[in-house]
Amino acid sequence: MKALDLKLVRDLWRMRGQAFAIAIVLAAASATFILSMGVHRSLYETREAYYSENNFGDVFANLTRAPRNVVDRVAALEGVQQAQGSILQYAILDFPDRVEAVRALLQSVDERGRDRINLVTLKTGRMPALDAPGEVVVDNAFAVANDVGPGDEFDAIIYGRKQRLRIVGVGFAPNYVNALAPGDVVPDDTRFGVFWMGEKALEAATDRTEAINALSVKLQRGASEADVIRAIDSILEPYGGTGAYARNDHPSHIFLDSELDQLEAMVTIFPPVFLLVATFLVYVVLGRMIRTQRSLIGLFKAFGYSDAAIAGHYLKFAIAIAILATILGALSGVWMARSLTELYARYYHFPILLFSFAPSVFLGASALAIASASIGAISGVWSAARLTPAVAMSPPPPPVYRAGAVERLGQKAGFTAIGHMIVRHIARWPTRSAMTVGGVALSMGLLFSTLQFIDSSEFMLESYFFRSQQQDISVTFTEARNEDVLYELAQMQGVLRVEPVRGLSVEMSHGNKVERTALEAIPQGAKLSARIDQDGNVIDMPPGGLMLSRQLADQLGVEAGENVYVKMLGGRRTEALLPVGAMVDEFIGNRAYATQSTISVLARDGAPVGAAMLLIDGAKRDEVLTDLKAMPAVLSIGDRDLEMTRFKEMIDDNINTMIFFYIGFASAIAVGVVYNSARILFSERAHELATLRVLGYHRIEVAVVLIGQIALLVVMSVPVGLFIGYWLAQLMLRMFGSDLFRLPFAPSNATYAESAIVVLIAAMLTAVVVARRVMRLDMVRVLKARD
Amino acid sequence: MHADAQKDAILQERDAFSGRDLRKIYVTGETEVHALRGVDFDICEGEVLVLLGPSGSGKSTLLNIVGGLDRPTSGTLHYRDTELTALDDRDLTRFRRAHMGFIFQFYNLIPSLTAEENVRLVTDIAVDPMDPADALALVGLAERKHHYPAQLSGGEQQRVAVARAIAKQPGVLLCDEPTGALDSQTGVRVLETLEAANRDLNTTLLIITHNAGIAAMADRVFHFLDGRIARIETNARRIHPSEISW
Repeated sequence: MKALDLKLVRDLWRMRGQAFAIAIVLAAASATFILSMGVHRSLYETREAYYSENNFGDVFANLTRAPRNVVDRVAALEGVQQAQGSILQYAILDFPDRVEAVRALLQSVDERGRDRINLVTLKTGRMPALDAPGEVVVDNAFAVANDVGPGDEFDAIIYGRKQRLRIVGVGFAPNYVNALAPGDVVPDDTRFGVFWMGEKALEAATDRTEAINALSVKLQRGASEADVIRAIDSILEPYGGTGAYARNDHPSHIFLDSELDQLEAMVTIFPPVFLLVATFLVYVVLGRMIRTQRSLIGLFKAFGYSDAAIAGHYLKFAIAIAILATILGALSGVWMARSLTELYARYYHFPILLFSFAPSVFLGASALAIASASIGAISGVWSAARLTPAVAMSPPPPPVYRAGAVERLGQKAGFTAIGHMIVRHIARWPTRSAMTVGGVALSMGLLFSTLQFIDSSEFMLESYFFRSQQQDISVTFTEARNEDVLYELAQMQGVLRVEPVRGLSVEMSHGNKVERTALEAIPQGAKLSARIDQDGNVIDMPPGGLMLSRQLADQLGVEAGENVYVKMLGGRRTEALLPVGAMVDEFIGNRAYATQSTISVLARDGAPVGAAMLLIDGAKRDEVLTDLKAMPAVLSIGDRDLEMTRFKEMIDDNINTMIFFYIGFASAIAVGVVYNSARILFSERAHELATLRVLGYHRIEVAVVLIGQIALLVVMSVPVGLFIGYWLAQLMLRMFGSDLFRLPFAPSNATYAESAIVVLIAAMLTAVVVARRVMRLDMVRVLKARD
Repeated sequence: MHADAQKDAILQERDAFSGRDLRKIYVTGETEVHALRGVDFDICEGEVLVLLGPSGSGKSTLLNIVGGLDRPTSGTLHYRDTELTALDDRDLTRFRRAHMGFIFQFYNLIPSLTAEENVRLVTDIAVDPMDPADALALVGLAERKHHYPAQLSGGEQQRVAVARAIAKQPGVLLCDEPTGALDSQTGVRVLETLEAANRDLNTTLLIITHNAGIAAMADRVFHFLDGRIARIETNARRIHPSEISW
């Protein structure tokens, strides 16, 4: 090894604490990069491979009923490569020991294996056989959650008739990567599953011989999606088609897409923050190192080392740290990516979802680390290369201090001499002081913007479950019903109030923006389905106009007072231009509301009753649930409290895993910044501190100079950090929100305090660790060595 | 009574320091350096003592031990009635705070504090200090009290260091090469200030120097060689710093 490289190794070892502190921050950048990029890539590639392997459709349509030959007409359309008809039917399963209803969506499959789109991948067992009416394949998540498998049998009510089902296989399909029961906002695999049943068997069970109610289409390469959708809509119009939609509007696909978007958001926010801080740190630490090695640099140059060799020597110092960081980052990144992938595997139903190592992700992470360390090194390296030997070997001029404005105030306020030492040193090195404040502030901001996700989701929950929903139980019917069903519900023991939910499937457009949504009718005097604002007051329904959820309004880019074009999907396909009268802050879903009379403009005979909301006597809850379960018209029963609990669990599951990481990350930044600032401060002031000891100051009093300065900087960083957090949080909420939900910015005071406290504690503990060096300060040795 | 006679009486009355068989061994790696090899001495209150000797002869080590900056490996040292060698770190710090003033070759001023604030550094923690402005006036720097060290000449900086050392009215002033970095004229000025402190405040002065001429202003001169006091010389008459031939 060359002597200069040997020096590099020794310097790294001597400065191991500082080098490691920088490496930790850089490692956090690599880790978050690998985590989000790696998981994004794994999830994306798994999805693409799965879609292509199982031939996931491009366009989908639902309809009331059409003869099977309609499939051939669709297949013959220009741009269509394949078309496949199927039957979809909800069923209620009879698990006698369960109070709450268990439901299944039955999807037909061709018993002779002639399906070409949305193919089922079997995990175990076989597909349903021809002439074996009760055979089903169940989706894996349901099988796992309910501990059922091939050979198990249970009764189901299909199309109002009881039938015995037998599981012959467990599988997956690309159109149910994520399956939500109707009316639910959170997936619940114990209460809802997708079943695949033989086509002939399902035809017989639902009186749909040679008929279908759903359609999937595969497009030719380069075909116009919009044209095909228009053509399909016109073919399906007489059969109750509710409007064909593209893959981008497919519920299962949307769920995955929003997850991928969130991972992308992570890549754009977290690694840059860490990289920025690491660059600062390299700049400060290497700058100081080069200042202390000034005479050495002069000596090397006097020996004949070239400027480039000297520059390279110090650049290597930065790069060595980056390499260490990449290794640390890769190890922790892969570990975190694995846990996140495991979490995803619980929510998304893939045959296989593993974190796959992509060399390019690792290369990207190390390139970023090396680049940011090198950028930080540039100014120091440049100054080292530029020094001429004669100048370098003479001592640097002493620092010049002067009293600033704050200081003069301090003089009036009666600062002690120690107080002046602290304040002037901060003012003397403004860039470094600002970087310390900035670094600690960034860590605080980062922590705040992640911790506030808890407040945000709690606010969202509160708003969704307590403000938007006043019912105890919601009931979704197997199909639209008339008023009779409401009377039937009202007659039940324990039911205190019943309100219908009437809704239409509509397409709303404003300018060039189009959204498919449900338009719900709010009856006069409604209590359970009334829309409530943030202060708990009922928002009046605008007569003749629409009330849009803020999410939908944003998607359409429409303001109150403007008009939107509403087209009914299915039914009469009426179209109307309606004014937007009011907005309602709803964070989940993108619904629209209108009065009964407005709805009648679109659907002449009013909207059908698709669901009902019930207020019940809490003491009779189990009886009500049991009675509801026995009603053939009831497809699903939503229990508000239960659903809220599940939602909470899902959020806790997701967020708590991440919060744990982010507290670690934020602390890493704070520790890295403070450790390096304190070490530099100590090395610069060792001589002064020793002098104070000689003059008769106790060790603790001397440590105050160091700790006091760090404390002052850290305290200054609190408002800056919370300011950064305030904006970063809103940016993150916007990036993390999706078509499915919107996250409100509603941080609690406790979150402000917690972010500040965690960072303050991490910072001050670090300062204390460095201050222990003051305790060990050898006065005689320090005073002998001229600075 | 004449001032000198008064002083003689005090000198006879009281020892400031008495050291017995002081030894100091520095261990660095596998080598042992015997910096002091058994030193005995008594120093009287108000005495001016000059320590002379080549580099590494042990004079700085003795000064550090006397000043409570370092501890001997063995032996005992008393200051007035206190056994310094028995004190822990905390009490040694207290001892320095109460009784010791230090002046170094390179001044050791805090660059971020003005002349006056450098003095205040000491008066802030001393028991019965002078006013910092008075201390600066004593060294002739009353006009420059708001200047930072970087704005002062070497001699001025050393005078600030002297003002800082005498401001707490210490019993003892320890000076390690106080004129080492100064030209002769400035050096004399600094020595005059030290002499004045000795005269007016009865401060015991211990001065390390390489400049044999300075020895003439002392009551006694300790000649160091190889970690021992080789010879003690007593001056019949102390000369004034201005008479010193540089």
